Amino acid sequence: MKAMNRRKLITVSAVIAALSLAVTAVPAQAAEVGVSSREIKLGMTLPMTGTASLGYNKIPGAAKAYFEYLNANGGINGRKVTLVVKDDRYVPTEAVAKTNELILKDKVMALLAPLGTANVKAVAASVNPARRGVPVLFVNTGFSGFADAKKYPTTYTVLPSYIMEAKIMGQYIKDNFEGKKVGLLYQDDDFGSDALAGFKTAGVNFAVKVPYASGSQGAAAAAGWITKFKAAEADVVILFGVSSATSAMLGVAAQLKYAPQWMLGSVGGDATTIKLTGVPAGVLYNAIGFSPVPATTDMKDEYVKLFSDIYAKAVPGSTFDLNVLLGMNSAFMAAQALKAAGQNPTRKSLMAAIDSKGSKFANSALVPLGYSKTSHVGLTGYWVGKYSPTGDLSPIGGSYVTYTTDSGAGAVVKSTYVRPAMPAKGLPN
Amino acid sequence: MHKKQSRDLLLFILGGVVLYFLSGMVDELRVYQGASIAVYVIAISSIILLTGYSGQVSLGHGALMAVGAYAAAVARIELQAPIILCFAIAVLAAAIGGALLGAAAARLSGPYLAGTTLALAIGLPSLANQFSVLGGEQGLLFDVGFPPLSLGEEFTQYKWFFWIAALAALISMWAVKNILSSRYGRTWRAIRGNEVAAQLSGINIARSKILAFTISAGIAGLAGALLSMTIGTVSPSAFPLALSFSLLTGAVLSGITTLGGAMIGAVVLVAIPEVADAVANRIGSSERVTTNLPGFLVSALLILTVLFVPNGPVEQHRARKAKKKNYLS
Repeated sequence: MKAMNRRKLITVSAVIAALSLAVTAVPAQAAEVGVSSREIKLGMTLPMTGTASLGYNKIPGAAKAYFEYLNANGGINGRKVTLVVKDDRYVPTEAVAKTNELILKDKVMALLAPLGTANVKAVAASVNPARRGVPVLFVNTGFSGFADAKKYPTTYTVLPSYIMEAKIMGQYIKDNFEGKKVGLLYQDDDFGSDALAGFKTAGVNFAVKVPYASGSQGAAAAAGWITKFKAAEADVVILFGVSSATSAMLGVAAQLKYAPQWMLGSVGGDATTIKLTGVPAGVLYNAIGFSPVPATTDMKDEYVKLFSDIYAKAVPGSTFDLNVLLGMNSAFMAAQALKAAGQNPTRKSLMAAIDSKGSKFANSALVPLGYSKTSHVGLTGYWVGKYSPTGDLSPIGGSYVTYTTDSGAGAVVKSTYVRPAMPAKGLPN
Repeated sequence: MHKKQSRDLLLFILGGVVLYFLSGMVDELRVYQGASIAVYVIAISSIILLTGYSGQVSLGHGALMAVGAYAAAVARIELQAPIILCFAIAVLAAAIGGALLGAAAARLSGPYLAGTTLALAIGLPSLANQFSVLGGEQGLLFDVGFPPLSLGEEFTQYKWFFWIAALAALISMWAVKNILSSRYGRTWRAIRGNEVAAQLSGINIARSKILAFTISAGIAGLAGALLSMTIGTVSPSAFPLALSFSLLTGAVLSGITTLGGAMIGAVVLVAIPEVADAVANRIGSSERVTTNLPGFLVSALLILTVLFVPNGPVEQHRARKAKKKNYLS
């Protein structure tokens, strides 16, 4: 009996050994993970539910709308691009869990436009896309740190950093509001400290600086802020916070008839998001705002025209706003990167394509891209506009004046960048 | 009694051996999920100890987890403490926080206690934004380091996380089990049953309640540190109010008075989103359904549990077995 058992054991071990040899002997898959002969799979995590999802939950629909349009027009060398979207509720734990699913279970080729500084950072630390060689394209945060190609070798930013934005605001104030008293409302965390760094570099002297803790913004707090700005007799008030802070402030200020020259940061300056918080768009009227991409109502712009047509067909009844335009723009840039990555794109060739050709990618933005072998910096500037009574941002004086700069000590310059014409039908060429 | 304890210890060791082999057999995603389950097991057992045994409700365990997580990360970054010490510091820091909270909690009960702990869950994590040493909104890195080379080059980071978390879960479950069957456990149950009667039999109610809060918080702190290990960072948004709620949900699903059921709640919390995903994909429904299905499933499970198995599945099974036995004899 004992001998029998031992023999059985030997047989079983032999079979297992043979099987495992056979498994390892299968030649490595020729194609890249997430790339088959018919399909290229990308993945996205972002808040689709919960308070932080406001406005942002339109991004997947926008990106998918573009990819569907692309696929209907032949895809990338005959391959369809599909996007797997997972809800992370803006919680880092969820972002890590969902990104693991995207990479290990859904086996996506690359991640596209993950959202939120804390989330992207947690994913970089735990999932470690860099070690796995997974590209993280066009992260949806203005935190300047992610452009550090040494620390995050597979991560590419797209939005101009908060530092760039503050520097450009500072320059605009110098050029237009010399001698006026300026006040600043900022979020009391890294978002705000990035802004403070930028304003310092730009040499702005504030008459009053009002910090608020994330989550504390509301009508009651806004009344307190206004008291401080009034006491300091601020002529220009910069709101460098999230949308809910902007809407609380403008809503209460309208009631109190407090009307300095408002200047809104791009994070908290999206009119549709502000409208979603229940404040009428009219409060935005005459405020100064900043954006890297054209006005979403500018139907003379070929990108806005095409993208809004595509979006209206794919998601009927939904407003074409800044989040939608940025989402489609990132999808369009991803398509060009995939096209530039060769007949059979791999994760490596995809990143190499952005490093070598990324700065020349066609896209809707009116400011240049900064990609190179040593830099993962995306867009590098803003144009300055004013809000209409309906809350639409359009360029002051009718034509776009753009500024460009970096996240360091570099100067802010009026940009001479001329956006290249859109490739035929808005498809990568 | 002594015999039972050594049998339990043997069971836990056996469990560890099974987990050890299991971790080598499944893919990386499952290993990661295993680590998450281990973390939830610890967090849920801390709630079971507090609510199920000492009868105090806490809606703020997410905040206590944050205390542990931040303590561990700061110890790691500022003092370069070895990882085991970081976890010990996490337990200690959260226990101190729990003792303070417990001192207030001992004077409160029912909805007042729930409200106090709820406020803590909302307010505490965002405190991190006020102190630069805590890294603000983007948080701090918490790096436990690579697995030792002696485990081989193929040994993944997630397997390392799983080993650490599973070992911690086994040890803390064993510890909680022992505490619950000690004099303290009996004291807590007496208080939960009837405070006046307990006091009449010479139990110091306030001290016992504070002790329960302290121990529960310490365990929650360990869970928090382990949670931040699995995500590599600590940030306020990792400890939202929803975390506190889902832990309580997990505890109710486990059976709030059965420590052994902690596994059930933990598995449910990790598995539900994936199940929901699979279901939504199968029926090919819209994004709105997919994103709301997990929340719906958890809530539905919670309602069904409260309606049909209020004491949890394990207790229900035991009761049925006991009834059958009585009936037969």
